[in-house]
Amino acid sequence: MAHDHPHDTPVDSFRIPAGTWTHVRNVLAALALVGWAACLAGYLQNQDQFARSYLVAFLATIFMALGGMLFVMIQHLTNSVWSVTVRRLMESLMMSLPVGAVLFIPIALNTHSLYEWVHPEVANHFSATKAAYLSERGFILRAFICFFIWTLLSWRLWSISRQQDHSGAASLCYSAAKVSAPGVFFLFLSATLAAFDWNMSINPHWYSTIYGVYCLTGGAWAFFAILIWICLRLRANGILTNSITPEHYHDLGKWQFALTAFWAYIAFSQYMLIWYANLPEETIYYKVRLEGSWQFLTKALPLIHFIFPFFLLIARPIKRNLSVLGFVAAYVLIVHYLDVYWMIMPNYFKSGIQFHWLDLASVVAVVGTFGFFFWQRLKDAPIVPEGDPRLAKSLRFHNV
Amino acid sequence: MIKALIEKLLTPKKGTFGVAANFESVEGILSAVMRARAEGYTKLETYTPFPIHGMDEALGNPPSVLGYIVICIGLCGTATAIALTYWVGTIAYPLVIGGKPLWAIEYTLPIIFELTILFSAFASVLGMLHLNRLPQFYHALFNYSGFSKISDDAFVLVIESQDPKFNAERAKQFLNSIGGHVVEVVEE
Repeated sequence: MAHDHPHDTPVDSFRIPAGTWTHVRNVLAALALVGWAACLAGYLQNQDQFARSYLVAFLATIFMALGGMLFVMIQHLTNSVWSVTVRRLMESLMMSLPVGAVLFIPIALNTHSLYEWVHPEVANHFSATKAAYLSERGFILRAFICFFIWTLLSWRLWSISRQQDHSGAASLCYSAAKVSAPGVFFLFLSATLAAFDWNMSINPHWYSTIYGVYCLTGGAWAFFAILIWICLRLRANGILTNSITPEHYHDLGKWQFALTAFWAYIAFSQYMLIWYANLPEETIYYKVRLEGSWQFLTKALPLIHFIFPFFLLIARPIKRNLSVLGFVAAYVLIVHYLDVYWMIMPNYFKSGIQFHWLDLASVVAVVGTFGFFFWQRLKDAPIVPEGDPRLAKSLRFHNV
Repeated sequence: MIKALIEKLLTPKKGTFGVAANFESVEGILSAVMRARAEGYTKLETYTPFPIHGMDEALGNPPSVLGYIVICIGLCGTATAIALTYWVGTIAYPLVIGGKPLWAIEYTLPIIFELTILFSAFASVLGMLHLNRLPQFYHALFNYSGFSKISDDAFVLVIESQDPKFNAERAKQFLNSIGGHVVEVVEE
């Protein structure tokens, strides 16, 4: 068809207009400041509640950024063409990871509100190996290792991509792939380590090998939602309207769909094995989540996290319908938060769901901060990797 | 019986299949299809060395129904698995193992999942073959002199004889007028 030809494709500006940029930056900075002020007020009132709400908000966003890094690496490893127009946005989301090291500080300072294993009367019951692993010094050291790996990988991938903006050298695609191959390996290992330390050790007696994959899958699921949402917001403001076409949204929707199914696969695998083995120290995870009002969330999760988005996204026209996709993006982000909330909070509030205003305040603080630094990256850099030799093909990309 | 069937499949039908022309490039065949449609032809088919983006839209082909076939058969797989596990677990061999219920979604879901996937996979492959009318041992286009080039560099458009507007002479003239090469009436 006529619009298959490159000369018919109107070219967008790959820069965000200065006025728009400043406006969004101010909004994000204001959000972050209001959020942090509220968090500070909440912290002075109720230290435990702040630490717990903050942990949920932090984990919900950091695993999203990890999902972002995973998919930047997968694009490089598969030499993917379709995603080139959205890769810079993926990369700037990935670059939230170094910021995460700073946002981790409130957790490191509040371990006594979050992790019962810091208290000696609990730790005394552990086996020698578990007691050695669950020490505060080890916790900080492992967090440091994780952030070191993530900063190193994300920084390297970002600088390769930025170099290519200027040089346009095809060889840099291979450099990025070379970083990505061991990168995926280390990402999965470190994400598992982080999930074990930050989420799983809240209940130090319980264990699940698949937990890291569960957290990373949920994060990647939400990552595609935020990516679609950002693309749609840019589009609504007349940015990249010709570069991110319904063809690209269709593929983003396919990933959203695929990860919906993958999350269900992982979540069910974890549940089924625990159900089958029926060991008290394992089943406790689901037992506490089937008590009080938690049971409603537990029973709703398969429906809202899998069945509904799965059947909503299965049809091709839906994935190409930008208003439905916008709805799905917002919906996924809310459900992702609930999923993380469901992982963390039942450990503290046994009787049932207890939402607190600090939950919202810490989400605003964390998302505002991550968003601020995400947006900062897009000030000078083009918002599409304009030096990538595959870009022209990506702009003309069509689903068969 | 099988011999008769094979013979029937291999015996050519009688009559005219259509008029074929080679357009030699992707752009050429896309614009030829659009001009043929503008002319009022509806029974068109193209034969190209590789899939061409936008050809379905240009030919006015409706979206494939394969997805609907797959989901229906896939859900039949789901139902089969539920029935099978329920029958085995509670009627044929009602054994209590490890204190578990005779039938529970936890232990049957892997089977339900696998049978859904199995049925869907078969439905995709067999449905695709059926919708493409494959396998086909004989095709009228074998009689077109440029046929062997279709797997190389020929982009062939056929106006089929079933087209209500079909008239061999006028179709030949038309295909010549829009720049077709090797314009031929192809017999069944």
